[in-house]
Amino acid sequence: MKNHLTFVLPILVPLIILLLPATSFGIDGLTLVEQRVIAIFVMAALCWVLEPIPIYATSVLIIVLELLIISDKGLWFTKTDSANLGELINHKTIMGTFASPIIMLFLGGFFLAMAATKYRLDVNLARVLLKPFGQNPKYVMLGLMIITAIFSMFMSNTATTAMMLSILTPVLALFAKDDLAKVAFALSVPVAANIGGIGTPIGTPPNAVALKYLIDENNISFAQWMAFGVPFVVVMLFIAWLLLSTLFPASIKEINLNIKGRFLKTPKAITVYVTFIVTILLWLMGGKHGMNAYVVALIPVAVFSMFKIITKEDLKKISWDVLWLVSGGIALGVALDKSGLAKNAIDAIPFAALHPLLLIAGSALLCLLMANFMSHTATANLLLPLVAALGASMQELLPYGGEVVLILAVTFAASLGMSLPISTPPNALAYASGHVETKQMAKVGFVLGIVGLLLTFVMLYLLNIMSLI
Amino acid sequence: MEKINIICVDDEREVLDSVVRDLDYFSDYFNIEECESANECLQLLEEFDENQEYVALLISDHVMPEKTGVELLIEVELDNRFLGTKKLLLTGLATQADTIKAINNAKIDNFLEKVWNPEELLQTCKELVTEYIVERGIEYESFMDVLDASTLYRLLK
Repeated sequence: MKNHLTFVLPILVPLIILLLPATSFGIDGLTLVEQRVIAIFVMAALCWVLEPIPIYATSVLIIVLELLIISDKGLWFTKTDSANLGELINHKTIMGTFASPIIMLFLGGFFLAMAATKYRLDVNLARVLLKPFGQNPKYVMLGLMIITAIFSMFMSNTATTAMMLSILTPVLALFAKDDLAKVAFALSVPVAANIGGIGTPIGTPPNAVALKYLIDENNISFAQWMAFGVPFVVVMLFIAWLLLSTLFPASIKEINLNIKGRFLKTPKAITVYVTFIVTILLWLMGGKHGMNAYVVALIPVAVFSMFKIITKEDLKKISWDVLWLVSGGIALGVALDKSGLAKNAIDAIPFAALHPLLLIAGSALLCLLMANFMSHTATANLLLPLVAALGASMQELLPYGGEVVLILAVTFAASLGMSLPISTPPNALAYASGHVETKQMAKVGFVLGIVGLLLTFVMLYLLNIMSLI
Repeated sequence: MEKINIICVDDEREVLDSVVRDLDYFSDYFNIEECESANECLQLLEEFDENQEYVALLISDHVMPEKTGVELLIEVELDNRFLGTKKLLLTGLATQADTIKAINNAKIDNFLEKVWNPEELLQTCKELVTEYIVERGIEYESFMDVLDASTLYRLLK
């Protein structure tokens, strides 16, 4: 029964919405196109929550449905001559979401990460960076967490977790059966990867989705994001480390992480090192060279393709599903915005009666809750277009930093959902190691989620006072 | 053109020479290396890895002093860096237990008995190298002359 509902609901509910009279939504002057956007949005929400189809497939479905029923080149019967049809959206705009600059930024990130893995830059850096942390389990764990966080700022959180766990697993096997440090170590990696992703715009897909709404006067550059993202990551990591090492103290006195290997010195490997460093420097320099982060991201794509560092075969291994997942979110935002629905709906709902702070805290909390049970990116895809529209229309938010504060609070909250094995792929990987119980993961994830949310508010408050955002 | 290597391991010099002679067909396209022990082969693998060269095929005898062929092949199988390298066990003296290990743990791709038929060895090697090249996404066009056409068609289909 439950299984059937996951298929029936996402089809039935949007159909009912389509068939209802326009006046039943309580929004004045609702157009047909706007009504269809509501139906698509509800379908997307149901599909992402219930997951009857893969989450990236939902994204593709959103884009195709938009093309079919709300675009200027859609099905013939969708373009009635009715007076309240509303604004049909240019099909090029909808298709363009597949190649939006944000997608290109992520593609660049993928190329960097793939090349780093292929030429073992990641493992070799981990080996060198771990050395100064000695052999005391407590400090080795700190080292592991710092390295995991740094890597996940530029690589996918999942790939980073997989790499670090593969280093860690042989060591964990040497621990005594009941040594709690096993739990601490197995949890430290996904926790650090989830937190680390917050540090840069390319760290995790929700950040990219947020960039879509941080435009014009709210624009945040790569370096600006890191200027507040990295300190946040540092503080959160430290808290997470304290939490893990207090909750699960080690009884073993010494551990030895043995990572074999040497830095590769072939011309290709050196090209990878140089391109990696140059790209990151260009990102950090902001607009000083005239290029924005999106343009810079395409440089490694060209270089790695030219020198056959990323081959035809490697190209096939790019996580197209992640790119499409983000595209769908962007398309959903485009539909809400261009159809005029976002503005109309916000006008119709008396948000003004709500205290702005309550709104910020409420939406961040909702996001955190959702992110614990479903994909972080899907959560961001659903919530960010709504809060962005809300933020733009609410004058009362301005003293508290305006739209940006609302968007960033929700974006950060999306990455903090990590209390269950199903919350994020890194959590699932760590759970699969067999050293962690769901209860233990939930305890750590819950505390870090709440602490992280509070820390986000403090950070945004400080940024607002210093008028940095 | 990518550098692709084939390594032959056997502790008996004459056997090694005769394997290499049978594989002479590849010599214009691939580098054929000879090793007289498993350890020499492991060292060579390190070297190739450092220069990021491909090792398409490893042909090993089983009974050798110090380290057996099956032990060598298991080590290579477990090493991430040589993912996909084709492994051929060429021996007349493997017990059933050795053979089981070779299949289950070293995941060998082919097993030939000594004394071998040179044509069979060459054909097997052609097929294995073709598989390696396609699986690794190396541009096969430049090696067409020495690859096995029917394997190529099957994999590209």
